[in-house]
Amino acid sequence: MKRPAVMVALCLFILTSVLLLYRIVGLGYPPLPASTGEAFHFKFDGHIKSTGSNTTLSVALPSERPGLIITEEYFGSGSLSFNLTRTESGRYGIWTGHAENGEIVSYRATIVTRSPGIVKLKPPPLSEYPPSISPDERASTEKATEKFRYLPIPDRIGLVLNLMNNIPEEPFPEGDAGKFLKYMEAKYGRSMLMLALCRAASIPVRTVEGIRLAEGIASRPLTWVDAWNGQRWVGISTDGKEILKDQETLLALTLDGTPTVQVEGGRISEVRWDIGRIIIGQWRHNYEHIARSERFLDRWSLFRLPAEFQQTFRILLLVPIGALLISILRNIIGFPTFGIFMPVLMALSFRNTGLIYGLAIFAGVILIGYAARRLLDRLRLLLVPRMSVLLTLVIVCFTLLALFGNKFGMRQVMAVGLLPFVILVMTIERFFVVVEEHGIRTALQTSAGSAAVAFITYLIISSETLQLTFFIYPELLLAIGALQTLVGRYTGYRLSELSRFREFRSPS
Amino acid sequence: MIGKLFQQLRDAGVLGINNRNAEYIMRCNPRSRYPLVDNKVLTKGLAKQYGIPTPVLFHVIKNHGSIKNLKTILEGIKEFVVKPASGSGGSGIILITERTEKVFLTQSGKAVALEYLSYHISDILSGIFSLQGQEDHAIIESLIHPDQVFSAVTYQGVPDVRIIVYRGVPVMAMVRLPTKDSDGKANLHRGAIGAGIKLGTGHTITAVHKSQIVTHHPDTGNPVSGLQVPHWDTMLSIAAVATDMTDLCYVGVDIVIDRDRGPVLLELNARPGLAIQMANKDGLLKRLESVDAAPAKIFTTPEKRIAWAKENL
Repeated sequence: MKRPAVMVALCLFILTSVLLLYRIVGLGYPPLPASTGEAFHFKFDGHIKSTGSNTTLSVALPSERPGLIITEEYFGSGSLSFNLTRTESGRYGIWTGHAENGEIVSYRATIVTRSPGIVKLKPPPLSEYPPSISPDERASTEKATEKFRYLPIPDRIGLVLNLMNNIPEEPFPEGDAGKFLKYMEAKYGRSMLMLALCRAASIPVRTVEGIRLAEGIASRPLTWVDAWNGQRWVGISTDGKEILKDQETLLALTLDGTPTVQVEGGRISEVRWDIGRIIIGQWRHNYEHIARSERFLDRWSLFRLPAEFQQTFRILLLVPIGALLISILRNIIGFPTFGIFMPVLMALSFRNTGLIYGLAIFAGVILIGYAARRLLDRLRLLLVPRMSVLLTLVIVCFTLLALFGNKFGMRQVMAVGLLPFVILVMTIERFFVVVEEHGIRTALQTSAGSAAVAFITYLIISSETLQLTFFIYPELLLAIGALQTLVGRYTGYRLSELSRFREFRSPS
Repeated sequence: MIGKLFQQLRDAGVLGINNRNAEYIMRCNPRSRYPLVDNKVLTKGLAKQYGIPTPVLFHVIKNHGSIKNLKTILEGIKEFVVKPASGSGGSGIILITERTEKVFLTQSGKAVALEYLSYHISDILSGIFSLQGQEDHAIIESLIHPDQVFSAVTYQGVPDVRIIVYRGVPVMAMVRLPTKDSDGKANLHRGAIGAGIKLGTGHTITAVHKSQIVTHHPDTGNPVSGLQVPHWDTMLSIAAVATDMTDLCYVGVDIVIDRDRGPVLLELNARPGLAIQMANKDGLLKRLESVDAAPAKIFTTPEKRIAWAKENL
């Protein structure tokens, strides 16, 4: 007899688990919705002044990549016109126009970083030798690194750095190789020498300009060399002396040695990058992540709703828990509540007023309403007009409360909102009927039960963590439904029946 | 710990409310049949087909327009009852025991005018006494003159006998005796006494008042156990056809004993309460289960079902 319901519940549980697993394992959602990433304000400011008739300023901007999300971009261009372009080497903001007296240009963005997970990047192609290096010199460079070629790439990078760090001060003690390196260093500089060595050792490299994504202010970008270690790019100082520290904070802006800031027909001054860490709410954090994903469940995520509706759904998704609670209270414990969902609606209206005021307002209005209902009973009004009178009374109460609240500066009592008046009218009627039919004691018990459920439901729907959990994993509703189904098939005794049927328990 | 306590109830064969709702009411009472018992006019019609006596129906008032005919309708009727067709818990019932040229006297001796009755009927039609507030009909039917057998243990009002019938087998019975608390109403939750009846003989066993076991009536002070319920076999046979009449296999049958007409079917209830277990100091569940375990041949006729019940329950 119970099997179909249990099967339905089981199916719902399984469905929930599958969806949860897919989100956590497949889409990389956090199992516990707490944020792990960081967020930064990225600010760029500069003062541009035209020297010719037409001025073009190009500034490299951060661009998205795995583990890096850019939002809330803002461009300040003054009287200049602004354009965004994207090239192989990065994203550029182009300001053009004429700024006789100078103009401030600015760029703002919020950058959210999170663990990129395991991302397989395609190995980049080997770059060319710097064009100024002659074929003879290339051959010599290759000779200097010929022993490296059969080693794994990370080792080759280490050996190149080793060579760079051991260029002899005085020529000749170590023979031809040292002499050649010294010569190259003197002719082309350390940076170009390292690029050549890497090319010779078949290590893909690129020259990068960027900044560090860490709290601080910089007036010029960093330059470094990215070397491909077989899996990802490793930043190396341009003098080839060391692998840069805190690799994960390196934010590349241009990838082919293009200068980050370029001006034509003008002069730029007061260039400044300002990076500040910000506290980003868990909501935003998850939002940033999900709103960009193209995976099916992500595209159908609640995070895709317009923000003003999201707020509603945060609460709405938790209401079934309140209903489940009422099912348990009534069918397993046997504690009476007014109506079936009245306490849940009460809890919703507490969100406006706060708990204490909410409960007090409810108690007060029900008391007044009860007295009025007793008087109305003498008038013997018909059902619908009688309810209308009660409705008017409740609204009069609200109005008076609001007026007094305003007088005494109590905002909470003004914030009763539109929702609870229907509940109150129905509760007054129910309260009256229960008092009449079952006595004041039962009526008070029922009120206490309703208030208790409303209280617990209020705590549940106010829990930020629960809101977030259900918002990210709305499939949890299926599990709630499964639990409700199971409660629906609970045909055992209610706890209250232990007392009701106590005569049968005494072993007589 | 709690499991152990539950087990005690289970051992006593107590029927809990969840179990009643899910396994008995929902499983065996088709929803489509509820109107037959919820609307007393329909119940009366059914009872007539099966030759079961009910209070004589004088008139049904179906709309507000007909209320103005009330004077004509009541012409020549000395005593009567006004009640909602779909009322519950005994609310909205007015008993008129006498009338003069101008006024009607209610059971409690209050004199009311015709306008009062019209107003009350208007209330009934508007659904004040029906549970969900739907519009209702008003019934005007004959007054019951209770048999004197329970007068020593009744405070005003009309006592009635409730018999629970499962698959056509009467499984448990009690007589409900109005008290001062219950305001002359025979509803246990309003404070009436319920006295369990031994199915085999029709004697009252123990009684429950406000969920306490009692031996004497709180107002009259007379003992409530050991009374012989008159016409017991007739009552059982009325009860036993309730399932045939309605297709409800778990049903409460309420019967009153009229001084002149004998047992009269008052109403049927598709969701009979569980307090009858206390009145009998016995669990319903074990009786229901023994009905399910009974041989199929006993279900063929009402007589066989009654005989089996008297023998076994």
